[in-house]
Amino acid sequence: MIELKNVTKRYEQLTAVDDVSFSVKSGEYFALLGPNGAGKTTIVKMLLDFTRPTTGSLSLGGIPSTLADSRQSIGYLAENHHIPPSLSGWHYLLRCAELLDMNRIEATIQCRRIIELIGMHGRENAKAGTYSKGMVQRFGLGAALLGDPKLLILDEPTSGLDPIGIREIRLLLESLKSQGVTVFLNSHLLSEVEKICDTAAIINRGKLLVKDSISAIVKDGETLEDVFVRLVKG
Amino acid sequence: METSKALSPLTRITRYTLIDEVQQRSFVIMFIICASCVFLVRGCYQGNYVVNGHALDTEAVVGAVSKVTFHLIGAGVMVIAALLSMRIFRRDRMEGMQSCILSKPITRWQYVAGKIIGIWLLSVTFMFLLHSIVFLITSINLKVFMPEYLIASLLCSVNLLFVIIATLLLSLLMSDIIAFLCLLGVGVAGFVADGIVAASHSQIAQAIVQQPGGHAQSDLAWWKVVYFLWPKLLAVQQLSSSLFESESHQGVGSLYPLLNVLLYCLLLGTLLFKRFRNEDIV
Repeated sequence: MIELKNVTKRYEQLTAVDDVSFSVKSGEYFALLGPNGAGKTTIVKMLLDFTRPTTGSLSLGGIPSTLADSRQSIGYLAENHHIPPSLSGWHYLLRCAELLDMNRIEATIQCRRIIELIGMHGRENAKAGTYSKGMVQRFGLGAALLGDPKLLILDEPTSGLDPIGIREIRLLLESLKSQGVTVFLNSHLLSEVEKICDTAAIINRGKLLVKDSISAIVKDGETLEDVFVRLVKG
Repeated sequence: METSKALSPLTRITRYTLIDEVQQRSFVIMFIICASCVFLVRGCYQGNYVVNGHALDTEAVVGAVSKVTFHLIGAGVMVIAALLSMRIFRRDRMEGMQSCILSKPITRWQYVAGKIIGIWLLSVTFMFLLHSIVFLITSINLKVFMPEYLIASLLCSVNLLFVIIATLLLSLLMSDIIAFLCLLGVGVAGFVADGIVAASHSQIAQAIVQQPGGHAQSDLAWWKVVYFLWPKLLAVQQLSSSLFESESHQGVGSLYPLLNVLLYCLLLGTLLFKRFRNEDIV
């Protein structure tokens, strides 16, 4: 589903991503872990063609990420998600659905379903300017789920959510597993990652430290957090 | 099939751009102020001007006032189009719409083209409505019908396209306000240059140039090249206004300003698409 081949991204003197290669299989729940500034968001941006790699290549479903067709069945939630304050949550979702080439009827049906799914029923008509960060995040996740995507790229999906919200998102993501959705997760919440992801990669200063199944990374008597700290601190 | 597939997101982005701009309070206020100003000139259309005891020809007065109003509206809407365009990319970036749109199977050219067309349609409608007010005033008050006035308004839309593309390009290279000021500079320089050229064609200026101490011919030639290549915004307005004036521009040469601005649109549009293709999306 996702393939990175010798990907390097340099910003003048800084190497944000350094010769990273890995792949994520279809239906896999994958977590990309790393401390702040490790290069996680840069990898996500390259996957979505928001920025181009200096060298190397990325592909989604076998299609180079530089082509718009590679984003045909992708749901994306940005780290600090925003909704135009003049739009209501409902209109925002409707707009996102229409941008996926749905007609108005189709979009309306999908949006109603999504509103229920993200638990925002009754708040969808308020202007986004009145929403809390957690609510914006929920609508962002809702927008990512529109059109039943085959791949979900979630950059810190639980950012701004309270423990109940975090749990709800986890349950929602777990429910998608049976539908064969592939999830590419960027998160700091290692305990949540450990609960829902099958595989993980840890990067630090742009370099890939490990990429394996969670069970292979986490040895007996350890937690993912222990492994993460050990690898990152070197 | 492929064309309709490409046009669908473009049409939607165009529609969203239009809706978002119209919903801006500043836009509504700008339109009300402009429409009120145009309404204020209706007093000039009384048609009973008397100079030294002689009544002036109504059509001549209407023509002159309409021409001045036409140019003022044209120039004013160009400034408004620049103001509307200068924050488009930044606002979309800040409000998350840029990443939202471009994470879908939508190409960057579709996004940029949608933005250009959206603001252009809005500005053209804005200008056309203001010109229509003048058209209605002359039609109702004086029973003088000038349908060419409205055609001229549409012809002026080429200028708006230039302003929008140039502002969008400049806003990618510098801060919004600097981009706006740069474009304002291009417009003002063009207007001043046209004024200088008009003055240089006067008999006094010709006499100065022909004197031994006058300007060297080479200096004048260099100036002429720059003047010739400069965006001909005022000239396009003059060409448009010639449609409803008695004196009309004729020949291929009179179409040069239109070609000049269209070529600039093409050139700057290409640069804009190229620049935006390499832009990092935040």
